[in-house]
Amino acid sequence: MSAKAMTIVADEADSWVDNYQSISPAGNHLPWLQAQRENALKRFAQLGLPGIRDEQWRYTNLRALKSNAYSVSAPSSLIPSQLEETDQPRLVFVNGHFRSDLSELKELGPKVSLLNLATALTDESSDLADNIANYFGKSLPQETHGFSVLNTAYARDGYVLVLEPGAVCEQVIEICYFNHGESQEANTVSHIRNLIIAKANSQCTIVERHMGDDGSVYLSNAITEIHAHENAHVDHYKLLRESDNAFHIGGVYINQDSSSHVKNHNIALGGLVSRNDIYCNLNGQGAHIEMNGLVLGKNRQHVDNHTEVHHVVPNCTSDEYYKTILDDHSRSVFRGRIIVAEDAQLTNADQQNNNLILSPHAEADSKPQLEIYADDVKCSHGATVGQLDAKSMFYLRSRGIDAESARALLTFAFANEVIDRIKVDAVRTELTQTIAGQLLAGLEDLV
Amino acid sequence: MLKVTNLHVSVFGTSILKGVDLEVNAGEVHAIMGPNGSGKSTLSNVIAGRDGYEITEGSIEYMGKDLSELEAEERACEGIFLAFQYPVEIPGVSNMAMLKAAINSMRKHRGEKEMTAGDFLKLIRERADLVEMKHEFLKRSVNEGFSGGEKKRNEILQMAMLEPKLALLDETDSGLDIDALKIVSQGVNALRSPDRAMVLVTHYQRLLDYIIPDHVHVLAGGRIVKSGDKSLALELEEKGYSWLEGGTNAAASLEQVAN
Ligand SMILES: Nc1ncnc2c1ncn2[C@@H]1O[C@H](COP(=O)(O)OP(=O)(O)OP(=O)(O)O)[C@@H](O)[C@H]1O
Ligand SMILES: [Mg+2]
Repeated sequence: MSAKAMTIVADEADSWVDNYQSISPAGNHLPWLQAQRENALKRFAQLGLPGIRDEQWRYTNLRALKSNAYSVSAPSSLIPSQLEETDQPRLVFVNGHFRSDLSELKELGPKVSLLNLATALTDESSDLADNIANYFGKSLPQETHGFSVLNTAYARDGYVLVLEPGAVCEQVIEICYFNHGESQEANTVSHIRNLIIAKANSQCTIVERHMGDDGSVYLSNAITEIHAHENAHVDHYKLLRESDNAFHIGGVYINQDSSSHVKNHNIALGGLVSRNDIYCNLNGQGAHIEMNGLVLGKNRQHVDNHTEVHHVVPNCTSDEYYKTILDDHSRSVFRGRIIVAEDAQLTNADQQNNNLILSPHAEADSKPQLEIYADDVKCSHGATVGQLDAKSMFYLRSRGIDAESARALLTFAFANEVIDRIKVDAVRTELTQTIAGQLLAGLEDLV
Repeated sequence: MLKVTNLHVSVFGTSILKGVDLEVNAGEVHAIMGPNGSGKSTLSNVIAGRDGYEITEGSIEYMGKDLSELEAEERACEGIFLAFQYPVEIPGVSNMAMLKAAINSMRKHRGEKEMTAGDFLKLIRERADLVEMKHEFLKRSVNEGFSGGEKKRNEILQMAMLEPKLALLDETDSGLDIDALKIVSQGVNALRSPDRAMVLVTHYQRLLDYIIPDHVHVLAGGRIVKSGDKSLALELEEKGYSWLEGGTNAAASLEQVAN
């Protein structure tokens, strides 16, 4: 195959379609999956990648993303430098390919299955195949966009976590995605598809880390579906530390049954352009979703977070807490949509979005959208955009702390309110250190 | 140590200090009294280097240096400490973190190595005991949710940690109960030394029973209108400010009404 044929011109829908025709991903022998993939392809041919004419994408600057050409990388044996030793269960993907040599597949108990999607799709055990067939794609919203259908059409790997009823996975499951560009001309693209099926009374904690080689250009298009059944507890972390030149388009789609508790933590520290769509359907009474977000933008980064919580039935609660810190010329968009259906009485929904602007060139947009069709509900929301408090600055400086350190301390304090909501000690400690260090060298010793 | 000469200061174009002269030498304790709004906090803030004040005339010299050249943090590193009239709450920054940053920044300024974590912990516990502050307050966010008296005590803890050469205490006694007043005074007295100076801004002569000042000044209408020894404070307690030159307009007009 010539080098030209390998290249995808991002802004041309045909180019994507042509490119993938030759690739037959795992699972094409499954009729249900093949049908989904074909439908998605057709849909993509109609949709193409979203642009400023799409209402939900108006503020997401995709110009740089679209001006690039991409290629699907072949599996490599590269060992990412950021990978640390672990004794925890861990799956590792490099440029979208599962790497069994770098993964730690631990025994997680008789009722817990954790494996990569490509392997899971070829698994003989009918239980697993049935599970995937029953859940795959079911949490995705009707109203879709080009990246999401591309993902359905082309995703060849990701992780599958199935917890049978009552399964409690005590260990923190780690998933690492590394990306690196292959060459100057060919930036890599990977479509990742993850599926969490937490059946009744099960519990798990999953940390997804998305990382890239310094400076490399790539597009990571990653979707995670979470299905939480009755009284299931899912604690899901997405830590974005993509390369400064990378593009990340992510979706986390959550379906919740009665009395389930899901926490989604979305921490965006890297990437040139990143966007996350986090949607949750509260389908059973007593379900609770907590969405925590923290954005640290610098240089010319653009970070978008779009959240939607659908209160479909009565007596559910949602608690959303997003904080953004922007420096230099960075930009952010937060859109928080809460829909309370007519039947969803006694809903309790709270949404807070606070933005801290450190530079006159940074810009934060906050768009709360509350659509309430029930009458007996408690919904509150607040959005603020502000700068560091001058009184606090003077107080710290009057104690001998230089202006830069004072700023970093106050900025960290702002971020810390989200970090404090992280209940996994190791993750909280790690983020505390990382964020403090990113704000100011040496700050990690103080906090 | 501190030499304020003919100091004129305005805020947003409004003139507040109108020619203050004050000289404080090492080893001395000065008390500044005066009616509300006369410019006591303004004077303290200007010395500490707060933004937003314009010096239109006059000068502030500290240890022979013109202070206007120095940022607030540099002044602090040179030994100036301001105990705030209204200490600021800083959620998310612990007392420990702030003081560690402050101490290390000052040590860096002096070309010294950072204090080890162990030494720091020992020092802060010892100083917390000095002001009878429970150690759990050290881990709490700076002043957040502290009662009025606890905030004042926290100011003294910070002073005890930073060991300034010139301490400006802006109404540290306001809002303290009798026991707290004693503790704060003990803290202050423990720091008195021949190479340190203190300026106490206060409304109450009561404080001066515990911390005996060498000089007492009355700041009124933006100027020091009277200076004396500790007996001046007693006199003020008895007579108020209206008998003084430049006493508040309110007091003056009240007097007129009375006459
Ligand atoms: N930032 C400011 N903007 C406007 N006016 C100010 C500002 N700061 C101080 N002032 C004014 O300057 C005057 C002196 O204030 P200052 O706080 O110095 O008084 P004070 O002597 O400390 O009073 P108190 O005894 O009540 O603490 C007051 O009239 C006050 O309103
Ligand atoms: Mg005052």
